[in-house]
Amino acid sequence: MKRNKPLALVAGAALLTLAACGGGSSDEGETGEGTQREFGDQEGGTKDAERQGPAAEVEGATEGGTITVYLAGDPGPDSLDPTGGWSVTGNSIQQALTHRSLTQYIRDEETGDPILVPDLATDLGTYNEDFTEWTFTIREDATWEDGKPVTPEEVAFGICRSLDSEAFPSGPGTKYSKDYFAGAADYEGPYTGKDPKCENWDGVTVNGQDITISMEKPFPEMDYWGAFMAMGPAPLGNASKPPNYGTKPLSNGPYKVESYKPNEELVLVKNDQWAPESDPGRHQYADEFVFKFNQDQAKVDEIMLSDNADSQTAVSASLGSDKYNDANAQLGDRLVQQTSQCVSTLTPDYTKITEIEVRKALAYAYPYEDVWIAGGEVPGVTRIPANSVMPPGMAGKKDFQVDGEQITYDPEKAKELLAEAGYGDEPYEITMVYYEVDPLAKATQDQITKGFEASGFKVNAIPVQESPYNVWLDPDSKINKKLNLRGVNWCSDWPSASTMIPPLLGGDEVYNTAFFKEAAVDEEIDRIVTEVPVDEQPAAWGDLDEMIMTDYFPIIPTAFRNDLFVFGSKIGNPTGDGALGAPNYKDLYVMQ
Amino acid sequence: MSAETAGPETLGSLSDEPQQDPNSQQAKEISGKSPLRIALGRLARDKIAVVCAVVVLFFVICAMFAGTISDLFGVSLETPLASERVDGLNNGLPKPEMGPPVGPFTWEHPMGVAPRTGEDNLAYWLHGCRVSLLIAFTATLIASVVGVVIGLLAGFLGGAVDKVLSFFIDMFLTIPFLLAALTLAPILNERFNTSPDYPTIQKFSLVMVLAMFGWMGTARLIRGEVLALREREFVQAARVMGMPTSRILFKELLPNLAAPIIISVSLMLPAFVALEAGLAYLGIGVTDGVSWGQTILKAATPTYFREYPQYLWQPLLGIVALVLSLNLLGDAVRDALDPKTRR
Repeated sequence: MKRNKPLALVAGAALLTLAACGGGSSDEGETGEGTQREFGDQEGGTKDAERQGPAAEVEGATEGGTITVYLAGDPGPDSLDPTGGWSVTGNSIQQALTHRSLTQYIRDEETGDPILVPDLATDLGTYNEDFTEWTFTIREDATWEDGKPVTPEEVAFGICRSLDSEAFPSGPGTKYSKDYFAGAADYEGPYTGKDPKCENWDGVTVNGQDITISMEKPFPEMDYWGAFMAMGPAPLGNASKPPNYGTKPLSNGPYKVESYKPNEELVLVKNDQWAPESDPGRHQYADEFVFKFNQDQAKVDEIMLSDNADSQTAVSASLGSDKYNDANAQLGDRLVQQTSQCVSTLTPDYTKITEIEVRKALAYAYPYEDVWIAGGEVPGVTRIPANSVMPPGMAGKKDFQVDGEQITYDPEKAKELLAEAGYGDEPYEITMVYYEVDPLAKATQDQITKGFEASGFKVNAIPVQESPYNVWLDPDSKINKKLNLRGVNWCSDWPSASTMIPPLLGGDEVYNTAFFKEAAVDEEIDRIVTEVPVDEQPAAWGDLDEMIMTDYFPIIPTAFRNDLFVFGSKIGNPTGDGALGAPNYKDLYVMQ
Repeated sequence: MSAETAGPETLGSLSDEPQQDPNSQQAKEISGKSPLRIALGRLARDKIAVVCAVVVLFFVICAMFAGTISDLFGVSLETPLASERVDGLNNGLPKPEMGPPVGPFTWEHPMGVAPRTGEDNLAYWLHGCRVSLLIAFTATLIASVVGVVIGLLAGFLGGAVDKVLSFFIDMFLTIPFLLAALTLAPILNERFNTSPDYPTIQKFSLVMVLAMFGWMGTARLIRGEVLALREREFVQAARVMGMPTSRILFKELLPNLAAPIIISVSLMLPAFVALEAGLAYLGIGVTDGVSWGQTILKAATPTYFREYPQYLWQPLLGIVALVLSLNLLGDAVRDALDPKTRR
């Protein structure tokens, strides 16, 4: 998912730098004072098509109270229109509390892994042999906040809306709906195409309670795509016309929008029309949720650590890394670490750095832990060593190591590899960019330069004053043409490698900043998507992942990224949502 | 017989200086001194001025011999591997063997090391001082030369030249400095960022920006003084004798302008020191990290301020002490040069 992109723009400098930093040291055991934290792997996403409402009660949960959520340095969504939402913050809030879709994730109580379960559909959908036709049966007992039932026609209309890439330019439908749904490429959408009833597109048909979606090409992961709120219902006609609908959308989840000030505050209150029996995943414990956007991180940290009356029922979706030690010592279980399903990478230009030895030498020359520290990260906590582009917790993820053990900073080994490739005599020149406005980015670059130069490289680091992505993704940029080392941060859209490997390593993909292109890999990607049976796909992705890294090593995974959430002392069930990398809003309650 | 109305006796009694016997020892000493020597004598008797001069001298020595002093202490600007010097699991604070705040004082790093990166604070402080003074001195030099020349020309030539030059002075005064600096930074970056001399170019352009927006005050001041001076008898006389304009400007007028020039320079210097740090803090000045402003930017977080306050105090004290002493020294110089002030 381009999850990183909006986030990077929001958090500005600090996050941008991550593009060029990341990790791979094995120093996990060391911890300071405080609780010894186990950051275990998260097993791959599982599915449970049988799950029915009401959702299992959270043990000891009580009703009532107000939960305040602080979102530091994050302006939140610009609009609440479910079709336009494609950000961690907006989607995690709305999908958990206000907007239902075909499917949803719940958190497995024991393992903490996300499980894909039905939502508005009664199961996870049925499909034909080649995944070109998906049928979902819409449940009859789901209702809108005004008491009217959610009809299959409304779900079909919601799906149709996702095809309007002009009305929702940054919506996820621009990628998935447009790519996969039959005839979607030629259909402009209900608003741009002046087709308010969606009559001119026949990709989705309604038959009683069943809706059937036809695909342009096989789409075995439609059930995951169904968990996006864009794949949910919208009131027919003008009632849901953008952009007005985005300021106060009609809710169908356990909470409804009480007030919404973009970039400031979102208040959700109980929706009394929501029936627990109709929903296999959500709860309605707290009376009210208040989301405060654009907060100052340092201020939020002080509030959360003070444990005063206000902060006892508060949640913070982030923690300044400089506060990690205090928080770790003081909060115990109320500091939750959650894999964000993201990987930081360095991407050596495949067309310029052609020898695998040089690419591996770069991996050994990268001072992982030093880069993390200089960039303000906590080694082993917010950044953990990575072995491939598939983050931990992804179905099919293999625990292999390219060279037998985790690659760590080893300048001698890097020099040997360079010598093997025939560059032992004089330094191998590396050209890269860094974001000079942020001192953390500059400090990070200094560490990288130090590590590389100790390993037989010569670094030409070009300072830029815009997002490095703007340089890396601009094919006409003069600077970009000079670079032979870039980077990219990538997060998954759902726990499947099909949202990681193809966008990063498929030939001609936008975010393939390594320009890696091998016919064998492209063919294998194509084969997995079109020929391999669904239940064997995770394993096939895992094999492909290992094959790419072992045979080509085109990308240097520097770190898997983790988020830290802080929960007040009266918040019950402090947990994270592994599917989206956000606090697990669905299961929170206020202790009475 | 009536006395002259404005004879020398009357004038003498109007002055608030105590009456002196023109033949006394004291009076003879004064008459033997140039105005500048009198000013210097006054300055030397001003305790604040002396203290400030010593402080400024200290900073100048630190700046000039930054490299040598660093070598003496065995510290350098070199970036170490972060994990060797700081503890990533302890908020990136220095390891105990690196000195305060975690461990005891050590001569290896007399001012400690920076959190997160482990760079030596003393080396960065000394070189930051050098950058600060270098930029401020150069910018002041350029700004005052430009200001003086334009002020002289506008004031002395008058007419159309004065109108045009005054227009430029007013125009530059209307451009908001910070906005211009903010706009220029990315433009310069895009033009020069692939050059190997980028840090030097950046400093040079910073000097230019500071000078470009610093000369107007001096120019106005000088123009006003010249307007008054050019009607005086000695200038009129020089003109009548047919002296070339350049000679009148530089031999007759300039020496009489020494006081306003010295005053404007003495006020420009501290302003530029503060501006340099401010721009570096905003990320649009020096960006290679060797600047007090950049250190303050890194140090100004609540956590580091609480747990490692010296990291913020070091550059802050440098700036405050330097700016304050330059300002007070400037005031003292003005007082000393101005015959109207008596203390």
